[in-house]
This record gives sequence, C-alpha cells and structure tokens, in this order.
Amino acid sequence: MSADEPVKTAKTDGTDWVEKIWGFLTSLKLVVILLLILSALSITGTVIEQNKPLQEYYRFYQPGTVALFSKLGLFDMYHSWWFVACLSLLALNITACTMDRYRGIMAGMRKKNRILDEKLSKSLQNLTTIRYALPLDAVAKKVVGLTGKGFSGKPVVTTAEDGGSHYFFEKGKYSRLAFFMTHLSILIIFLGAMVGSFFGYKGYVNIFEGEAVSQVETRAGKIQKLNFQVKCNTFHAEFYPGGAPMDYRSDLSIVQNGKEVVRKTIRVNDPLTFEGVTFYQSSYGGQPDQVAIDVVNRDGSLKGTVTAPFGRMVDIPGVADKMETVDYKEHYHLPDGSEGGRALDVHIYPEKGREAEAWLLMDHPDYDKQRGGDYYFRVKELKLKKYTGLQVNRDPGEILVWLGSILLIAGIMIAFFMSHKKLWISLKTDNKGRSELTIGGTANKNRDAFAREMEQMIQSLKEVS
Amino acid sequence: MTNSLLFGIATFVYFFAMVLYVSYLAFRSEMLGKAASLSMLGGVVVETAAIGMRWYESYAMGIGRAPLTNMYESLAFFAWTIALIYLVLERKFRIKTMGAFVAPFPFLIMAYASLNPNDIQPLVPALKSNWLISHVVTCFVGYAAFAVSFVVSILYLFKTGSEQLSPKSPGSFWGFFPTSAALDEIGYKTIAIGFPLLTIGIVTGAFWANVAWGTYWSWDPKETWSLIVWLIYAAYLHARITRGWRGKRAAVLSIVGFAATIFCYLGVNLILSGLHSYGSPS
Repeated sequence: MSADEPVKTAKTDGTDWVEKIWGFLTSLKLVVILLLILSALSITGTVIEQNKPLQEYYRFYQPGTVALFSKLGLFDMYHSWWFVACLSLLALNITACTMDRYRGIMAGMRKKNRILDEKLSKSLQNLTTIRYALPLDAVAKKVVGLTGKGFSGKPVVTTAEDGGSHYFFEKGKYSRLAFFMTHLSILIIFLGAMVGSFFGYKGYVNIFEGEAVSQVETRAGKIQKLNFQVKCNTFHAEFYPGGAPMDYRSDLSIVQNGKEVVRKTIRVNDPLTFEGVTFYQSSYGGQPDQVAIDVVNRDGSLKGTVTAPFGRMVDIPGVADKMETVDYKEHYHLPDGSEGGRALDVHIYPEKGREAEAWLLMDHPDYDKQRGGDYYFRVKELKLKKYTGLQVNRDPGEILVWLGSILLIAGIMIAFFMSHKKLWISLKTDNKGRSELTIGGTANKNRDAFAREMEQMIQSLKEVS
Repeated sequence: MTNSLLFGIATFVYFFAMVLYVSYLAFRSEMLGKAASLSMLGGVVVETAAIGMRWYESYAMGIGRAPLTNMYESLAFFAWTIALIYLVLERKFRIKTMGAFVAPFPFLIMAYASLNPNDIQPLVPALKSNWLISHVVTCFVGYAAFAVSFVVSILYLFKTGSEQLSPKSPGSFWGFFPTSAALDEIGYKTIAIGFPLLTIGIVTGAFWANVAWGTYWSWDPKETWSLIVWLIYAAYLHARITRGWRGKRAAVLSIVGFAATIFCYLGVNLILSGLHSYGSPS
C-alpha cells in the first residue's frame, strides 16, 4: 500500500496469452471489482437466512423458488462453489500482485543514489541550497547533528572528488515491507481456515453429571474418538432474579488411563483445551431419572403411588392397568399455545380398551383430571439427571488465523502511519569560498507531512551560524 | 439515577454545540467558532462523566459491567465517539466549517438513544468477557471516523459542484469551506484512521467469538456486514492508493461505505437476526 511503486501495466500486445492472464490477475480493476462483488454476494447471505432446515424455507418461499435457491446453493452460499471460487480468485490475485510487486519493493529498499547528483537533484521537488560563511567541517558537524534527529542511525557519507562530501540519511526503510504483511496475512488467514476445515472438526456432546464420554459426534455426523475421557462432575446454571441467565458452568475432568490429568470449571467465555481439543460450555438440560406419580381417585383420595425409573412399564396400584413414562419437556406448550412449564408424558395401557396418552403438568398438579376416567395422575416427584452440552472443537488452523490477523493489523498500521523517508545533503566549497549546502528529500507516503518536516528542517539549517 | 441526568445534560449540550456550529457557518465569527468547539468539548466531558457514572452505578447495583451492552448504551457511546473523533480531527485539520454538519450526529443519536429503555440490566453469560471493551471501543471509534469521512465526502461533492459553477467566489457560502482538494485529503485520512480500527474490531470480535462459541467466523449477519464494510473501504483504499482514485469516485465510495456501516450497526439489529441481539425489538 505505498504510492511510489509504479503500477506495472502489463504489456498486452495480444499475442502472449500468459502475459494477458498475468495482466488480468495483477490488475487493480480485478481487486476492486472482486472486493465489491464479494461484498454484494455476502449481502445475499444475510438476506436469505443460511443453513436452516429445508422445511423452514418452504414457509417463506414458493416450492419452485426453494428448489431453485437450493440448486444455486443460496441456502449455504458461503460454502457454495461460486463463493469459494471468488475467494480463490482473490487469493490468486493477491499472490500474483505480491509477486509482481516483489522486485519493486526490494529495489526501493536498496541503498542506491547515495549521492545527490545532477540526475537526482532534478527529480527532487524540495531541493534547497544554503550558503554559510563558516568553514566546511564546522558546517558538516552542525548539520549532521541537526538533521540526524529525525532519522535513525548515522548517515552514509561519501567523499566527493572536489573535496566536498555527500550525506545520505534514511528512515523507515522496512515500512516498505508492509505491503507483504497486509497481503500475505490474508493468504495466511485463508490457509488457516482451510487447514481447520480439512484437518479439524466441530462436534457436540451431552455429558450427564457424574458420567464421562470418550467420543463426540461431529457436525458432519461422524463419530470422533478422543484419546481421553471427559467427565462432567457437576453442572450449575444460575439466574438473575428477573429470570435472565447469569452463569452456566461445568466442572470437568480429563481422565487419561484411568487417572484425572486436568480438572477445570468451564463457563461461557472460558473453555478448556486439552491436547488441541477445546470444550466450550454451550447448552444444558435434564432427563428424568426417577419418577414418583400419585394415582388419585376422582374424589381426591389417594389410590396409591407409582415409583419407577423413567421409561419403565409398571402396574398401576389398585387397578389392572399399566403405565409408562415416555417423554419429558422443560417447556410444554398447552393446546392453546401458552406455556405449560415442565411436563411429563405418560402412556396408559388399560386392561381393556385402547392405550391412552397424557401430559402431566408439574406446575398444575390436577391438570390430568380433565382427561376423565375413574382416576387421574399427579406428579409427586421427579428426579432429573442434569447434563451439560459441550461444543467440542479441534482446529489446527486457528493459530494461522491469529498469526495472519496480527500480521494484518501490524501491516495496516505500518502502511498508514509510517513511510520510507530519504534525505540527501551535499556539502562543498563554492567558488567564493563559502560553504554551500544542498538538501533534498523524498518520502514514499504521507508526503504532506514530510514536506512540513523538511520545511522546518531547512529553517533550522538556515539558522546555523 | 445520576447517569440518566448526565446523559440528558450531554444531549442538551450537544444540541447547543450544533446551534453554535451552524451559527458559526452563518455569521463566520471566530468567537462563535470557539464557543462551538468549547461547547462540543463540554458535551464530551459531560457524557464522559455520564458513562463513568453509569459504570459506577452498575457496580453499586451489584451488577458491575461496562456500559456498552444494550441499544441505549451503544447509541450513547456512538454519539460520544463521533463527538470526540470530530474534535480531534477539527484540531488536526483546522476546519471548523464541517462542524455544522457533524455536530447534529451526536445530538440526534442521543435523542434517538433516549427512546430506548435505559435501565441497567445484568449481563448474560456470553457478554461476560474482557474482550467486550476492546471489541466495542475499536469498532465504534472506527464507525465514528467513517461518519466524519462521510460528512466530508458529501461536503466535497457540494464543494466541487460550486467550484465548477463559479470558480472564483470567495465570498459565497461554499467559499468559506476548505478547497475540494483539502476535503478530499481529509476524507481519505479519516478513513485511514477508521480502517485499522475496524480491522482490530473485527479481529477482536473473531477472537472473542472463538472463546465464547468455539468458532471465529460463523457468517452471522453482523460478522458478514462488518466484512462488507471492510471490503468496501479496502476497495476504496486500493483504488485510491494504487490507482489514484480521487475526488468524486472516492467520495461516492466513502458515502457507500458509511451507508454499509450504518446498516452493519443498526440495520442488522433492527432488520436481520443473529448473535448480536442487543438492539432487537424484543
């Protein structure tokens, strides 16, 4: 991102197609158009919601539209062949431009033109000549001290044939490398993303309190084995008085060869990483463990109580019917759509007649009375087995993404706020015996600021006596 | 609550600054210009106190969090960054005339903020992170810089228009503004400040997302729109630096860039759904 390297215009004489392609790949038009096309395409993906189950799209679009969009990959467009093709073209474009600019940038860093000769003098816009009554060596001493302040290091001094001398100062030579930093960083980030998608995985696992797992299911639907076991010791969810979530935390242990090697309480924003695999607090839930259900007569008297593990078929006391618990919901929706709270689904198998189903609401104990019959059910106690839901990631490309990001930020900072400044001074005795100083300089960026800097420097040089 | 009172006063002071900047443009009196700048500075000082107070009060309530997490706070902070960035640039580039066009932003944004609920709610687990402050601050200072560049670009378009109509009319309304070349340069330099900040904002956001959700990039609408903004300004910078795109085309691209910025900031929250739900009308 520097202004003074000339943009090479490819020689497109129409005969050499390699040159033609190269010219296309390194053209600025391609960069700008690609960047704008990528932004336009990205907008599409924010308007059409991505990666939803297909039936949801049918609610919004006509079946024909869904089929078309699906074929075009618009429902997962950031992974569609055409979006990836645009990104690949951008990567190719960046690579070509970097190669194209390599020589120019390296040449800009080399110290040529250390002498303020005639040719150079003509190219400098701020060339100034000052004459002093002082002897040459006195001027040299003062001038070098004054000028050196704004530049790092000592100047390169060359003695001229006529007894005068030339000084060459420079600063920020390496800022020219910012071009490589900003552009290669994008390639490194792309590479990191590719490494992650080829060699990493994202998975998900539920672990009950007190239990351990040694494999997870990936998003791709595969089973990924771990070299260790992850145990959830406890899970806690805390809420603010208003009901908003305050904290989710799981106390996890990593067990290897039967021994606990790591133990950590993870939270949202504070995951656990072991052997390159990271566990994130993602969700939680409960599954009924032990259920106790009262069997109540219509007059309100208790017929008996059924106590059983969740999912087991048991006899109902006092009658010849059987029942089993089959499902549990944290948020049951009543037929009218309102929230019914925690609810247990039971199936009833009467001695005679057809089986029946009932949802027992824990917060409305007598809800089942409306079902009719000689007796109804009331949940007496429900023991939940809590589980923690963990997102499990392995991403060996992540480090490249962060490396690229840091390089990108540093590169942009250098590109915008630093420049390669060069300053030439030549000293000689003129034909009247006075000391004559000629000064001129260039900067590859921020030329206005450099011009002001030069002006001040020349002013202070004029005051030397 | 003291913070609400202070935010109210800041809004009023911003209004006053806006009136002074407009009067400065109308009457061209140095005194008015000075008063306008001081008033804007006063607004920033009062709002700084308001933000600090809100932060302190959240601790007093036992919640303890940076005041950057809902629509009200985010708008108030946006107003603050625009006012602050403007003052810095006014000093740096020595043009007060653009004040009349920038000063309405802090006032109008504060007025819009006051329509949102301003109670201090505790943080949900995902927002409890040290990355919150660095992510929000860098993004917003970047947005503020783009806002100033947007104003300068619009002024540029008017200024070139007037220069073409009547090349030499120093007494005219537009004659009071810097030359179009200067406006062009300021527009660019402001983007050169905003772009690195937006980059840092996106990277810190990606890093935070990776810590919280286990993915540094999920093509969520907010992420995607921030990338769109980044791409537009990247196109602007490439066109300008290597091809010397200046003037009208650069100004138009800068205006498009700011339109995308505003959509990224407000449009995504109000229209699209996603992970950054602080502004969703729930």
